[in-house]
Amino acid sequence: MKFYVCIKMVPDVNAPLQIKDGQLIQDADRMILNAYDASAVEEALVLKEKHGGEVEVVCIGSAKASETIRKALAMGADKATHIQTSGDEQYDSGSYARILAKFFGDKEYDVLSLGKQSQDTDSGLTGSMVAELLELPYTTNAVGLEAEDGKLIVKRQGDSGQEMIELPTPCAVTCSNDMNEPRIPNLKGIMASKRKPVDQIELSSLGLSDDELTPNTSVKGYEEKPGREPGKKFEGEPDEIAREVAQLLDTEANVL
Amino acid sequence: MSTILTHIAISDGKIKRSSLEVLSHCKKIAESGGHSVEAVIIDEKASSYVDGVKKYGASKIYTVEDPVFKNHMNTPLLKALAKVMETANPFVFAFASTEGTKDILGALAANQDASVLPDVSSFELIDGGIKAKRPVMAAKIVANTEAKGDKILVSVRSGSYDLVESETDAEVVNIDFNLDDSDLKATLKEIISASGDTIDLNEAEAIVAAGRGVKDEEGQNLISELASVLNAGIGASRALTEAGVYDPSLQIGQTGKVVSPQLYIAVGISGAIQHVAGMANSKVIVAINKDPDAPIFEVADYGIVGDLYKVLPPFIEEIKKIKN
Repeated sequence: MKFYVCIKMVPDVNAPLQIKDGQLIQDADRMILNAYDASAVEEALVLKEKHGGEVEVVCIGSAKASETIRKALAMGADKATHIQTSGDEQYDSGSYARILAKFFGDKEYDVLSLGKQSQDTDSGLTGSMVAELLELPYTTNAVGLEAEDGKLIVKRQGDSGQEMIELPTPCAVTCSNDMNEPRIPNLKGIMASKRKPVDQIELSSLGLSDDELTPNTSVKGYEEKPGREPGKKFEGEPDEIAREVAQLLDTEANVL
Repeated sequence: MSTILTHIAISDGKIKRSSLEVLSHCKKIAESGGHSVEAVIIDEKASSYVDGVKKYGASKIYTVEDPVFKNHMNTPLLKALAKVMETANPFVFAFASTEGTKDILGALAANQDASVLPDVSSFELIDGGIKAKRPVMAAKIVANTEAKGDKILVSVRSGSYDLVESETDAEVVNIDFNLDDSDLKATLKEIISASGDTIDLNEAEAIVAAGRGVKDEEGQNLISELASVLNAGIGASRALTEAGVYDPSLQIGQTGKVVSPQLYIAVGISGAIQHVAGMANSKVIVAINKDPDAPIFEVADYGIVGDLYKVLPPFIEEIKKIKN
């Protein structure tokens, strides 16, 4: 099976965040491969190991994104395409989806996979947008993948339980990071990644119009999340503090 | 006058409270802006939910009824939503942010060439569009966002707005729906449901959530007993759903469900940011943990430092007394 996995470089959400004059100050050294995309790469590698085929990663981003691409190659992806941008663009999910749809328009593949959302924006739109633009059958929030007779069997987490969905190929799927533990590249993988082909293409070479790249939504600024008032902490005899808190939930918080 | 349309989600035979919260908010902003608010129900038995929706002030209720909507499947749902948008021509189409919504929102936006803001915690109308607050970066900060255009989709986190009843005599419009087999791009093979009698965490007034500190059957029994006394839903941290102790559908956090009940009791949960991202909007948070430095205490209104096996039995007894 031929897998294309779309990956994105994102800021590490575990790094300290700073907001200055409504702008988010990000530590340039703390950029990582989006965790959901790492799960999508891992799952593609597992299916390739089982059924054969090829895993290619595609990344839209500035020159710095080559580190993210290298990480996916070190995990075991066979090759990569880097769609280069200046990095200053304020693209939204729609812009990214239109770029990807244009890129995949003339490609052949069985499965197009992505993380179910990216950790910085938490939007979760790009996957189903690309699928719709390419008129592919798709499913989102996969927690398990199997390949069978040219079909993809997806276990997805829905609202009230898990659903088993059969997709004919070519198809698109977005992956949760609950489906696996992405492998950590070993030394051999890291060395091998340096010899793997990375196709560098300029965004402008895809021939998208300004309209297609113009985002419909914009971020006007960031603000601190309204903090919760510091609560009360109770230490001491379990019997006593348990009863005391139960009483407070009734008389003070009015939630019983 | 323009139209704000609200999607009414149905789950397990009930109207999702979160979609009525969105309808209540849309009613309010529509009135102040001189717009009309309408609602759409897409379900196998859509018309049976009309009375429940009428209480919340929609002037028109569209129904799309077909057996195919018994279970969630994105292709027929997208087709129905596109048809509804063509009929109602809304400038804003608002959804509750459920897994079902997340499955189709991007595709619907692409299909309708609409602007879209997902998973917002609040939104307002502005000239030529909407502005919205979105928790981002694992819900650690808030982004002030705007969407412009003549068609805007938005999905709203549960618990963001209160229910406000305002009964109207809404006009009910049934939209014809026919599905060709060729329209079904994907096939739903099976639903592997969580146990049917569990309380929907997105809708629950109270949630008792279990974490790594809940080590055995005795711990799980205490969780169940506390949940039963409070009529609460049971949730779990990623550690326990991964270990197979609780069903994956019960996972709360950035990767699981985002919840906002009146009362959230975190038992034996340390409070990793991914978990906190899913529950920080709860009205009152109680944390029980034996590590006094656990990060969960930073967001808890009431923090009990202690061994859950010793704390829960007297806690449950006291709540029983209060409830009686």
